[in-house]
Amino acid sequence: MNFFNHKQKQPEVESPPQQVGRLRASPGWQRFSKNRAALWSLRMLYALIFVAVFADFLANDKPIYCRIEGQTYFPVFKEYGIKYGLSQGNGAYFRREWQHEVYEAVIFPPITYNAQQADTPNRHTSPFGKQAVKSWRFRHWMGTDGIGRDIAALMVHGARAAMLVSIISMGIATLIGLLLGSLAGFFGDERLRTSPPRLLLNVVALAAGFFYGFSVRAFAITEGVLFTELLKSFGILLVCLLVANLIAGQMERRFKFSASVAIPADTLVNRAIEILSAIPTLLLLLSAAALLQKPSIIYIMAIIGLLRWTGIARYIRAELLKIRSLEYVEAARAMGLSEWRILFRHALPNGLAPILVVVAFGMANTILIEASLSFLGIGLPPESASWGNTLQDARSAPQSWWIALFPGLGIFFTITIFNLIGEGVGEAIKT
Amino acid sequence: MLQYLLKRLLLFVPMLFVISFIAFGLNQCTPGDPVDAALEGSGVMPSAYLREYRQKAAALELDKPPFYFTLTAVAYPDTLHKIIPQRNREAATALIAQFGNWPEISAYLQQLAAFKTKLDDLRPDPAAKDQFNLAMYATERLPQTYQPASIQAGLDSIGLALARNPALQQKVASEFEALQQAYRQIGSNQSRWKLYIPTFHGYGFHNRYHNWLIGILKGDFGTSLKDGRKVSVKIKEAVNWTLSLTITAILLAYLLSVPIGVYSAVHQGSKTERVVSVFLFGLDSMPNFWMASLLIIFFTTPEYGMDFFRVLGPASLPADASFGERFFSALTGIILPVFCLTYTALAYISRQVRTSMITALKQDYIRTARAKGLTASQVVWKHAFRNALFPLITMFASVFPAALAGSVIIEQIFNIPGMGQLMIKSIQGDDWPVIYTILMLASLLTMIGILVADLLYAVADPRVDLSNKNRK
Repeated sequence: MNFFNHKQKQPEVESPPQQVGRLRASPGWQRFSKNRAALWSLRMLYALIFVAVFADFLANDKPIYCRIEGQTYFPVFKEYGIKYGLSQGNGAYFRREWQHEVYEAVIFPPITYNAQQADTPNRHTSPFGKQAVKSWRFRHWMGTDGIGRDIAALMVHGARAAMLVSIISMGIATLIGLLLGSLAGFFGDERLRTSPPRLLLNVVALAAGFFYGFSVRAFAITEGVLFTELLKSFGILLVCLLVANLIAGQMERRFKFSASVAIPADTLVNRAIEILSAIPTLLLLLSAAALLQKPSIIYIMAIIGLLRWTGIARYIRAELLKIRSLEYVEAARAMGLSEWRILFRHALPNGLAPILVVVAFGMANTILIEASLSFLGIGLPPESASWGNTLQDARSAPQSWWIALFPGLGIFFTITIFNLIGEGVGEAIKT
Repeated sequence: MLQYLLKRLLLFVPMLFVISFIAFGLNQCTPGDPVDAALEGSGVMPSAYLREYRQKAAALELDKPPFYFTLTAVAYPDTLHKIIPQRNREAATALIAQFGNWPEISAYLQQLAAFKTKLDDLRPDPAAKDQFNLAMYATERLPQTYQPASIQAGLDSIGLALARNPALQQKVASEFEALQQAYRQIGSNQSRWKLYIPTFHGYGFHNRYHNWLIGILKGDFGTSLKDGRKVSVKIKEAVNWTLSLTITAILLAYLLSVPIGVYSAVHQGSKTERVVSVFLFGLDSMPNFWMASLLIIFFTTPEYGMDFFRVLGPASLPADASFGERFFSALTGIILPVFCLTYTALAYISRQVRTSMITALKQDYIRTARAKGLTASQVVWKHAFRNALFPLITMFASVFPAALAGSVIIEQIFNIPGMGQLMIKSIQGDDWPVIYTILMLASLLTMIGILVADLLYAVADPRVDLSNKNRK
């Protein structure tokens, strides 16, 4: 109370105005925003995310808004409605050739093609050459590929695939890396202690979870929709672990078991990191991708996420090794907070800033991996829009330089953005 | 030092073990029948297919259990691995997964086999050949069918064919009745509870993993399923290409990046330095497969009049080519891929050299050196560079695996028969003996790379004590 009163009487003059917000006022942000290249990269990243989110409104063969014979339509919204089962398209909607309609009023997306549509009269057309289109409005600004798909539309929808893969797989990797790395760094080999029954029950639960979740359900997993079945399997595994820990808690209370077994978290995590980094990533990814009979974006994200957590784990481990001996952690411990609470509420948040650097570089790397896998023909399905897939198509058509140039520029641009952001954050943290 | 080296080398063993588990596990989870992969394209007659299949499967030891033990439900017998072809085994497994009663399923499968032999024995009278073939076709399909509706449909079509051909029906009526009876038994005597009780089957040392491991320890990596050649021979050819590519590229990158990095650190802030730095940063973000594609498009196709290089890979020369021709051909074939691998490493290394040189140049001893009147080049090379060298050495540990991985895609693009291309081809063709070996070998090379970097680090910096346990 005293402290508050004191503060009210003498408000700090130098503190930044409140409306600026906490993040913007932090010294780290101030240093980051002085780095012009990094700041602009961040803005470009926002733009890229905008493109990825609104890809359907930026490149679509249907108009966003139009009026035909006195009727008003919103075909792009309708498309979303049909996709998610909210509305049903009638025959006219499907039959209509939107590009050849006579409109009273119309707003087309900036790129008037979608990523799948093959504009057959215009195959391998150069962006500068003659194109068989009605008006400049329908021009292929970046040319077309061998079956007449618009490269600009492929670029826009490829940005969506790239951002989706990089954000989600990096999210998975970050979660795993943070958890394992902080366990290793904060607890080391000695301090993660548990009681014998809890350890035993957890081992049993893990085995049971794998048996009932995966071994028993192998048939269901292969026959049903893989994704939902896998979710159910992981649910079973979690339930097994939950039950085991509840029982263990009861046992500890009843029979007064003490936490006498130390789990060598550091050694275990370090060995896992060593093994994963010993196998060349691309080779491991290639063989893991061979598991999938039908490539799909979800599994590619999962595979990349499950294999790329080692960098983050390594960094957070090093951070927490430093943090765990700081005075405020000692103080928290002296106050009687539990180790887990100290780790997640006090130690881990303090070590997150350097992780931003690793995540930014990791995003760049993930985009590269996705593009490489698609380029090799084992990433995203060949018909889906991805920069890697388009680059692959370019190899069979050396006369069409534009097919190779633009998707490569897209990858290059995105990777540069992430690298610049990573460097900016790194420098902002260092000083 | 020697003790440390031995310890690290000993650690290789468990690591390689785990990697072999991973490779083997991946294989087990991967769909696709290795025997079919091996038989594909060898021109086996349909009539001899099953016999060939059995021989091949026995040669590949596919009738042996995969591992030392299995942990499955009680419902699954421990002799499941003996059912071949793999499709039949998968169908039997799927039947068990649905009904859980192996005795009934086994009886049904035996009944099915008996019915087929009975049909085989009967020569059809020419008048009713169609019906006979129909029944035969359905019978042959049944062992691979596991959905109840499909099995019922198969049985129905046999029944229909028999009904149209009374003569045939008379001969096999009892067998067909027994078959239908056996199938009905599966449905009525379900024991799904058996699917939820775990059990443990041990197989001892007579399993595929063990044999494979023993083979590797004896130096026998098995034979490729695709062309029947020794895996070791195939990989030896490939490794030469990959290693010569990556090592040339890394050497070039180190040779070029040291002067570039040192220059840009010494002349920090000058106009040239800034241009060089931006350029290097751009180069670092440039995906090498894009660069490779662009190079191929512009420099190897006659489309743009700049086809200075060949790309078809080094193997496409006539056999009687002279050494000079060979050399020249290899050279022009290898320049572009080496360039692609070099610039990625170059961009990374020179940026690191620059950073560590800048740190070194800020140190007090540099000021001292300048103060005592040493020349600029002496300060830079003798004092600063010596100390900036360590990160350069440890970087080898990350540059080498990166170059190995990078060469996968570069080899594929430039059609160089190295490990990367071999790997991709083997993955596409389910050629697992090759995939195992490449995974293990590439991992071994990576581990050696990391070890060499650690050792060099100790050699370069006498303060580094490798026996220290808390080394980071």
